[in-house]
Amino acid sequence: MHLSDQDLLMAVDGELSPRRKLEVSAHLDACWSCRERMHSLENTIGEFVRARNRELNKEVPSAPGPQALLRARMAEASQTTAPRFRFAPAAGIFACVLAAVVLFFATSASADGPKPRAGLTPGETLPITVDEVCSRPDAEVVTANIPEETRRKVFSEYGIRGRANNFEVDYLITPDLGGAPTLRNLWPQPYGPHWNAHVKDRLEQRLHQLVCDGKVDLPTAQHDIATDWIGAYKKYFHTDKPLAE
Amino acid sequence: MADAARYPSKLEEEVVALFGQLRVPVLRYLFSLRIPVPDAEEIAQEVFLALFQHLRQGKPRTNLQGWVFRVAHNLALKQRIRIRRHSEHFSNLPSLSEIPGEIAPGPEEKMEAIELQQSLLAVVRALPEQDQCCLSLRAEGLRYREIAGVLGISLGSVANSLERSLARLTRAGGY
Repeated sequence: MHLSDQDLLMAVDGELSPRRKLEVSAHLDACWSCRERMHSLENTIGEFVRARNRELNKEVPSAPGPQALLRARMAEASQTTAPRFRFAPAAGIFACVLAAVVLFFATSASADGPKPRAGLTPGETLPITVDEVCSRPDAEVVTANIPEETRRKVFSEYGIRGRANNFEVDYLITPDLGGAPTLRNLWPQPYGPHWNAHVKDRLEQRLHQLVCDGKVDLPTAQHDIATDWIGAYKKYFHTDKPLAE
Repeated sequence: MADAARYPSKLEEEVVALFGQLRVPVLRYLFSLRIPVPDAEEIAQEVFLALFQHLRQGKPRTNLQGWVFRVAHNLALKQRIRIRRHSEHFSNLPSLSEIPGEIAPGPEEKMEAIELQQSLLAVVRALPEQDQCCLSLRAEGLRYREIAGVLGISLGSVANSLERSLARLTRAGGY
């Protein structure tokens, strides 16, 4: 039984577990065939790195100018913005409570409906092509699969404690449109009668369809849903209110 | 950490040192994502300015290399969205194959080596974008866990992606 390509690659990259590393090493000691495959792999990596560096290094501008620019920008930033304050404990508790209240209203009681905070959830995407987006079935995204630890982090970032049942942790940009499963793309969407998760699901399905029909390009769909999903709903459904089921 | 936050000039020197160390790898990664040179340089500036603010606020220092690449990756994706808005098709951007290169004539062996390298790069350009990202990040020295963090994918996906890409490269190289 020979080693798999992945075992060989992970051995070359030092990514094997200690136990597996010993097993692979013992096999390589005994097996000329696998040793030869491993040398081929290392040769390929060497050639690729040489080719890549040769191609890309010639595009790199010289360093002094950019370095001086960075120094100037840091100096400017030092003068214009103060570092984070270090609160006394009591003031810190007060600030946390205040922030939690503000954040609660920011996500649940906005006059125009619930929206995420751009600073916490700007939306994040994975590199994906339209073909890949459209090869996926237009299935409903199951947010129940988001790990509990991730949910807790989202609630923690938004300062939500003890009222988690009032919210669904939802993707801002749905994975069906290339949304990433990262904190920057997750937000606590409050359950509510009007602009709720079901309404947003319908927007996501609509955008998916429009992208795959070639009527809206993928970056525009991602941008519109990330910056103002309610505005996007109004825009793509031509309505000011959520449509009935 | 706290000292650095109180003395920005020391912090500035630290960030400049990191800039010197990581600027070229970050630029190479951005080029591999087809970000044009001026945009890539500006993104690199933003990344290290953000790093300065990050450290200034006393935020975690663990794995700054991974942090830098993650921020660079995210800024690159945003920049590409902006670029796409200005050009109907992303394919209008220069691909790596269209970046003018100089292949100096030389001995036959040298030409063969260059041809081999060109064929390897052609294979890379034909890979799915996520595979290209994994390969580029690995080439810049990131470990699998760091690559997974930058791209927001699982460790297994990184290993599978690299295995796939290396298999194609090995076939193309005739090894």
